[in-house]
Amino acid sequence: MTTLQTEVLVIGGGATGAGVAWDAALRGFDTILVDRRDLGEGTSGRFHGLLHSGGRYAVKDPHAATECIEENLILRHIASDTIEDTGGLFVSTPDDDPAYGDRFLQGCKDTGVPAEEVDVAEVLKREPRLNPRIKRAFTVPDANIDAWKCIWALADGATRHGARILTYHSVVALHRDGDAVTGARLRNELTGEELDVEAGFTLSAAGAWAAEIAHMAGVEGVRVAPGKGIMIAMNHRLVNTVVNRCTMPADGDILVPIRTVSVIGTTDIRTAHPDEIPVTQEEVDQMLDDGETLVPGFRDARALRVWAGVRPLFEDVKTGDTESTRDIGRSHAVLDHLERDGLKGFVTMTGGKWTTFRLMAQDMVDVMCRQLGEDRACRTREERLPGSEDGETYQLGHRLRVRERELQDEQLVCECELISRSRLETAMRERGTANLDDIRRNLRLGMGPCQGGFCIYRATGMLHAIGRQDGPSAAGSLVSFLQERWKGVWPILYGDQLRQARLDDWIYQGALDVEHAPATAPVGAAPPEVREAAADGLKVSAA
Amino acid sequence: MSHDTIVIGTGMAGLVAAVRLAQSGARVLVLAKGVGSTHLCPSTIDVLGYGPQRIERPGEALAAHVEANPGHPYGLVEVSGLEAAVEWFKEQTVSGPLGPYAYVGSLEANKLLPTAVGAAKPSAVVPETMAAGDLRGGASLHIVGFRKLKDFHSALVADNVSRTEVGGPVEARSAELDLPAGGRVDLNGLALARHFDDAAFRSAVVAQIVRRLGAEERVGFPAVLGIKDPHGAWADLEHRLGRPVFEIPTLPPSVPGMRVFAILREALRRSGGELILNAEVVGPALENGRLVGVRANLGRREVVHPADHVVLATGGFASGGLELDSRWKARERALGLPVAGVPAPGEPRFTDSYFEEQPLSRAGIAVDRELRPVGPGGEPVYDNVRVAGATLAGAVPWTEKSGDGISLATGFRAAELILQTTTVAAVTA
Repeated sequence: MTTLQTEVLVIGGGATGAGVAWDAALRGFDTILVDRRDLGEGTSGRFHGLLHSGGRYAVKDPHAATECIEENLILRHIASDTIEDTGGLFVSTPDDDPAYGDRFLQGCKDTGVPAEEVDVAEVLKREPRLNPRIKRAFTVPDANIDAWKCIWALADGATRHGARILTYHSVVALHRDGDAVTGARLRNELTGEELDVEAGFTLSAAGAWAAEIAHMAGVEGVRVAPGKGIMIAMNHRLVNTVVNRCTMPADGDILVPIRTVSVIGTTDIRTAHPDEIPVTQEEVDQMLDDGETLVPGFRDARALRVWAGVRPLFEDVKTGDTESTRDIGRSHAVLDHLERDGLKGFVTMTGGKWTTFRLMAQDMVDVMCRQLGEDRACRTREERLPGSEDGETYQLGHRLRVRERELQDEQLVCECELISRSRLETAMRERGTANLDDIRRNLRLGMGPCQGGFCIYRATGMLHAIGRQDGPSAAGSLVSFLQERWKGVWPILYGDQLRQARLDDWIYQGALDVEHAPATAPVGAAPPEVREAAADGLKVSAA
Repeated sequence: MSHDTIVIGTGMAGLVAAVRLAQSGARVLVLAKGVGSTHLCPSTIDVLGYGPQRIERPGEALAAHVEANPGHPYGLVEVSGLEAAVEWFKEQTVSGPLGPYAYVGSLEANKLLPTAVGAAKPSAVVPETMAAGDLRGGASLHIVGFRKLKDFHSALVADNVSRTEVGGPVEARSAELDLPAGGRVDLNGLALARHFDDAAFRSAVVAQIVRRLGAEERVGFPAVLGIKDPHGAWADLEHRLGRPVFEIPTLPPSVPGMRVFAILREALRRSGGELILNAEVVGPALENGRLVGVRANLGRREVVHPADHVVLATGGFASGGLELDSRWKARERALGLPVAGVPAPGEPRFTDSYFEEQPLSRAGIAVDRELRPVGPGGEPVYDNVRVAGATLAGAVPWTEKSGDGISLATGFRAAELILQTTTVAAVTA
């Protein structure tokens, strides 16, 4: 069996885990990051894309609000390329109490969140689709952040400082030596092979799955309450500014424009297990009705995709169970298992939110340094991520600008997301993945209106042509992509999106007969070079 | 002006009904929002490919398929009627404006044609230009793709087709040509088809591949071998390469489908029928509850077109003939007919498994034996409306590979039924 040695093992490839790997690598620790699937495939890749200003928490959770605005400003500096500065609005719809606006303004003032009341008529000029009957409006520095782009930039940065990233590696056991955690047994999910990691320190950033990891270490009583939230991406930017309802946080009260779509979210439903988060029809209907309140005619717009994520809400056992997970604090907690359980070399991060992932990572690595007696300062407040060196924020027209330069020289594989052939082929080679869904997260392949209707056949052919897969494996990747895509579209299939889905049925089943192509399942069918890449730690590239 | 029949829709079903009626002397007007499914579908006449096992002899399998799938549109036509429709369609193509471009095959046996992912798809009646792709009993193939046509990947086709179960060994190799030289890096199927209309371009293609070919290899191209004179382009390639050549359908736009549209549109014109595109039918014109015509948007005006009969062939959800709104209500968009097979509120419309049959899959317009739309209790809605093609309830055509078979059979049948009525019989007499 292969044994890898490292100073720090990070479990979980979400924003926090990638942030921890980046932080630890910057402080000079030899680091390995593992995730049972791809980076950002769990909670971090399943949110609405909102970089909070803190306004959302200004009344209810002042501490979180202050953390958000501080981190918001830091991320604009270090991860600018992954952030679009849309600005944000809080609006009082006809269903909301306008008096809340005063509490909101006061809360923002107390917590340091820049907020200003603005003229409703001006707001409606800027966002003409907004409900014309809104009564008050406030501006805040909300923005959007591209989850996968940011996570891969963190991973890329960490790799440049010597970190190794092992995706599709699940933790099957944690090793203990007396009162210390000394590493983990991993299983390569693509090949089934197992390997050992000997680690001086193990940092669990497993989010909603952190209780399971803690349990593996023999630690009892760590509980994470998975709170399910659903989000729906709409075909257009119905608004160009993040729009929040000016009320106490509730369901369906945020509409985030991101890339070429807008995302409405979210719900908050206690769920038994973080891997079981089905989207129900009632939730979809509720989201669409909430959308109507913000943007009349929302139901007539085209819904592209729906997904659910699980918030990793740390449960304070002392307060007992609560009906609504929304009341559990969003702030994060670092569990130092030396203090808590007398166990060395093991720290768990629970709770938290996307916007504060960097702070969470810093806190976690600080705890580790304290235990190790190391005095190494955190550098993630200043150090810019790969791709963000110039400090320029992302502009919506970016891909179009690139496209215009290469119009005569580059084939366009995905018309919806403006992805060129060489960009796709480079990503396939560098990621070393045969999974089209991995490529989707990297490049946004197949995320536009046709949901892969045209580009996924092309990508399959290109995956085969560059030698990454034989015919049956490529067809298997295609079949698997279609199935994965279906999970995110069937609950919102109505109107033009149903029409699109049926056209795709005609293409893939009626014309290509993919269901009868010689196809092998993609997982486990990765060719040798992919397995090697996975074993060595994937070469990572910012998408 | 009053017409004997208004046909709504310009897909296979609508055009077949319209041409058949016009050829019998009826005054026919076709109204459509735009061009139809022909431009999207491969336009092979797939009669029945899976049920759910692969079907070798579709004519023989139809009766059992109808029995196993109550309410299936094939239950509305006799096998002999479908055979007659096929023969009629073949005659239209071979004698049409693209003749001798022809369709070959019959209900007796399905061919197994390679698809663009290298599956072997059962098709009964196909363009002659595709027939040599038949894999039954094994084959030796050379698949040729074009770098500029991203919608067709020859190596993928060759790799997979050589692993299909077709009753004999399949050997396949592939080539990718960087032709036409220069110009745009992206060509769609139609643009490449225009190049194939040019003999000089065909010469360049032949020059690049002729020396690579094995003695027994048949040569497969994407289905883009000409749009003006496809038979000429295909025959020329066969002649120069000295071996069978065939086309493989791929992603839209569909060049073979455009050929079918051109053929049937010209047949309609020759028979005195009219066709108006950009004319969306928005409702029936009624007098005392009886349908006496249709209302259509022509530009910004709503125009009433009187007619004795109407054939509704607007397609299913894919074509926009049917629509489901966000409150999960289904609507037939042209005449407001009741939609059957839609799960009740609260019932699932889809499952989470893509390749399973979905509860909504068979939704459409239910009809009586005369193809007249019926309500939930089986009562006819209008006695002078017939429904044909993908608008009909009861089939999962993309799964069972029956789309153009159903459209041809029911479009043809709708015309026959109208011709049997007295009003049109007087005209034809």
